[in-house]
Amino acid sequence: MRKNSIPRIILTVILFVMSLFFLFPVIWMLANSFKTDAAITADMNSLRAFVPPALNGSFFENYVTVIKDTDFIRYMLNTLFYAAILIVAGVIVNGLAGYALAKIKFPFRERWALIIMMLMIVPSETIITINFLFVAKMGLLNTIFGYILPMIVNPFNIFLFRQVFVSLPDDVWEAAQLDYCSPVKYFFTMVLPMSKTVVATVSVFTFLGVWNDYLWPSLVFTSSDLLTAQIGLNSITSNDNTTMGQTLAVITMITIPVIIIYALFSKQIVEGVVSTGSKEG
Amino acid sequence: MSFIEFKNIEKQYPGADKKSVTDFNLEINEGEFIAFVGPSGCGKSTTLRMIAGFEDITGGELYIDGKKVNDVLPRDRGIAMVFQNYALYPHMTVEKNISYGLKNMKVPADEIKRKTDWAINILGLEEYRNRKPKNLSGGQRQRVALGRAIVKNQKVFLMDEPLSNLDAKLRVSMRNEISKLHRELGSTTIYVTHDQVEAMTMADRIVIMRNGVIQQVGKPMELYEHPANKFVAGFIGSPQMNFYDIILKGNIITFADGNTMKLPDSVIFKLPAQQGEMILGIRGEDIKLDQQNLDVFSENKHSAVIENAEVMGNENNLYFTFGGSQTIARVSKYEISGIGDKIDFVFNPAKLHFFDKNTEVRYV
Ligand SMILES: Nc1ncnc2c1ncn2[C@@H]1O[C@H](COP(=O)(O)OP(=O)(O)OP(=O)(O)O)[C@@H](O)[C@H]1O
Ligand SMILES: [Mg+2]
Repeated sequence: MRKNSIPRIILTVILFVMSLFFLFPVIWMLANSFKTDAAITADMNSLRAFVPPALNGSFFENYVTVIKDTDFIRYMLNTLFYAAILIVAGVIVNGLAGYALAKIKFPFRERWALIIMMLMIVPSETIITINFLFVAKMGLLNTIFGYILPMIVNPFNIFLFRQVFVSLPDDVWEAAQLDYCSPVKYFFTMVLPMSKTVVATVSVFTFLGVWNDYLWPSLVFTSSDLLTAQIGLNSITSNDNTTMGQTLAVITMITIPVIIIYALFSKQIVEGVVSTGSKEG
Repeated sequence: MSFIEFKNIEKQYPGADKKSVTDFNLEINEGEFIAFVGPSGCGKSTTLRMIAGFEDITGGELYIDGKKVNDVLPRDRGIAMVFQNYALYPHMTVEKNISYGLKNMKVPADEIKRKTDWAINILGLEEYRNRKPKNLSGGQRQRVALGRAIVKNQKVFLMDEPLSNLDAKLRVSMRNEISKLHRELGSTTIYVTHDQVEAMTMADRIVIMRNGVIQQVGKPMELYEHPANKFVAGFIGSPQMNFYDIILKGNIITFADGNTMKLPDSVIFKLPAQQGEMILGIRGEDIKLDQQNLDVFSENKHSAVIENAEVMGNENNLYFTFGGSQTIARVSKYEISGIGDKIDFVFNPAKLHFFDKNTEVRYV
C-alpha cells in the first residue's frame, strides 16, 4: 500500500471529485427543501443554491406542511410494512427454494436450477400484465395480499441463496440430525444464521425493490389507504398546490431510508454480490 | 449376542462401477473400542457412515443392539458421531453446541445443565464455555465435538479421523484423552483412521481394510505378530516390514542377490511342505546386530554397508541394501552406526514371515 502512495492520492482526489459530481443534485435538493419557493428562485443562479437557509422558526416549514396536509407519512409506513412482510416471506420462500436446489437431491435438480436462473433475465415488466390479470381474477385487487403475492418469489434471490448454501458443510447437517434437529428447524436455526450475509443482502435488495417500485403498486392499489410512498410522492408532486420546496421535502423524505440502508449495509451488499458471484461460476 | 453386527454389508455408490465396500462381516461387542484402518479410499468412512445411517446400505444387514437398522433414521440408531472437520454449529457458543442435542431431546433444564457442566469439566473447556467455535484452536474444537457426542449418553460412538487436523503433539495427547474417555464411559466406539499408530495404541481390536474388503480383524499385537497377508504385515508397524523375493529349497533360502540363509528345522516345520518362490518378511527389530545374536546365528551372518541412518535417540533405523531389497534394521542406541559403516547382522529365524508369492497370504 505504502509503495503506491502517489497514485493513491491521485485516485482519492479523482474519486472525491467524482463523488461531488454525483452528490451535487442531492445537496441541492436537501438545501432547497428548507426554502420557500421565492428563496429557491432567488438563489437559483448562485452558489447559495447549495446552502440551506438560516436556522429559524420556519426552517422545517415545508416538511411540516407535507406531513400535516398529506398522508405521506402513512404511505411511507405502508411501504415499510409491505417491505417487512416481503423480506420475511421472501427469505423463507426463496431461501427454502435455494436450499433445495443446493442440498437436496431430487430428479433434474440441475435443470430446475438452470430454468430458475434463466428466469432472472425476464424483466418483471413483461409479466406484469399476467400478474395483474391473476390478481384481478382472484379478486385481490386493492388488497395487501394481492400486492404481496406475485412479489414473493424472486429468481435472483433464489440464485443468491443457492450459491451460498452450496458451500455449507454437509457434516453440520449430519451432526444436527444426530442432535435430533428436524430439517425445518435446521433451516431456520442453523442455515439462516450461518448465512447471515446473504440474508442481509436479500433483505436489502427486497427493501429497495419495494421502496422504489412504482408500477406494480400503482396497478394493484387504488384505495388511498394502502398506497405506497412512491405513489404518494407522485400524487403529491403532481398536485398544483404543492410548492417546489414541498416537492423537494417529499423527495428528501423518500430518499433518506435508502441512504440509511446503503450506509448501514454497503458491506453486506458488496460482500453478498461478490461472494455469490465468484463461487461456482 | 454381539452389540453391532455386520452381515455381508455392501456399498455401491450410485453411478459407481464398482463396490466401495464388499462383503463386510464383523461382530462388535458392547464396550469395545474398534479401529478401522487402511489406506485412503479403502472404504473406512463409507462403512462408518453406513453405521450412522448417512449412507444407504446397498447390500447385507446391519444390527445394532439386536435391532436391524438398515432402514432406521440416523437419529434413531442410538449413535453419536465425531467428525473429521468437527462440524460444530458456528453461531453457537461452546456450551450451546454441547447442550443442543439434549435440548432437542426435551431433557429437563436442570439435567441439561448438569450434563453440560460435566462434559465441559471433563474436557477442560471451562474457560471457553461462552466462546464461539471460530475463536477456538483445533484441539479445543475437537474437544467440543467430543463433548457434544458424550452428553447424549448414546451407546455407540463413531469417530471419523477425529485427530487428523491436529498437529502431531496434540494428536498424541488427544489420543490419550479419547482412550481415557472410552474407559470412563464404556461406550462402544468405532474409530476410523489411516494412522496405524492410532489404531495400535487405542483399539481393543483393529479392522484392516483394503479396496473395500476386510483384510484382517484382531487385537493389535495379533496383527503385528501374525499378519494374515503381506498387506497387513506392511501396513502395521513402523518402519515397514522388510520384504524379499526368495526361493526356498530344502532348508536353504536364496535371496535375489544370491545370498543364502539356512533355516533351522523349527522354522521349516512350520512351513507345511512349501517350497520354491515365496516372499520373506522380517521386521526391522528382528534384524540383529548385537554380538550375542551374531554368535548364536553365526552361520547365517551377513554384512552390508549403511546407506542411511535415522537417529532417533532411543532407537535408530539403519538403511542398507540386502537380498535385492532396501532393508531397514531397527537397532538400539548401543548398535548405532554411521553412513558408510560396514555392519554384520543376522535375521532372527524365529521371527521370519513367509508369504505366498501370488496370493500374498501368509503361510501359517
Ligand atoms: N459419494 C460418493 N460417490 C461415489 N463414490 C464415492 C463416494 N464417497 C466415496 N466414494 C468412493 O468409495 C471409496 C471409499 O471411500 P471412503 O471415503 O470410504 O474411503 P476412506 O477409507 O474413508 O478414505 P480416506 O482415508 O481418504 O478418508 C473410494 O473409492 C471413493 O472414491
Ligand atoms: Mg475417510
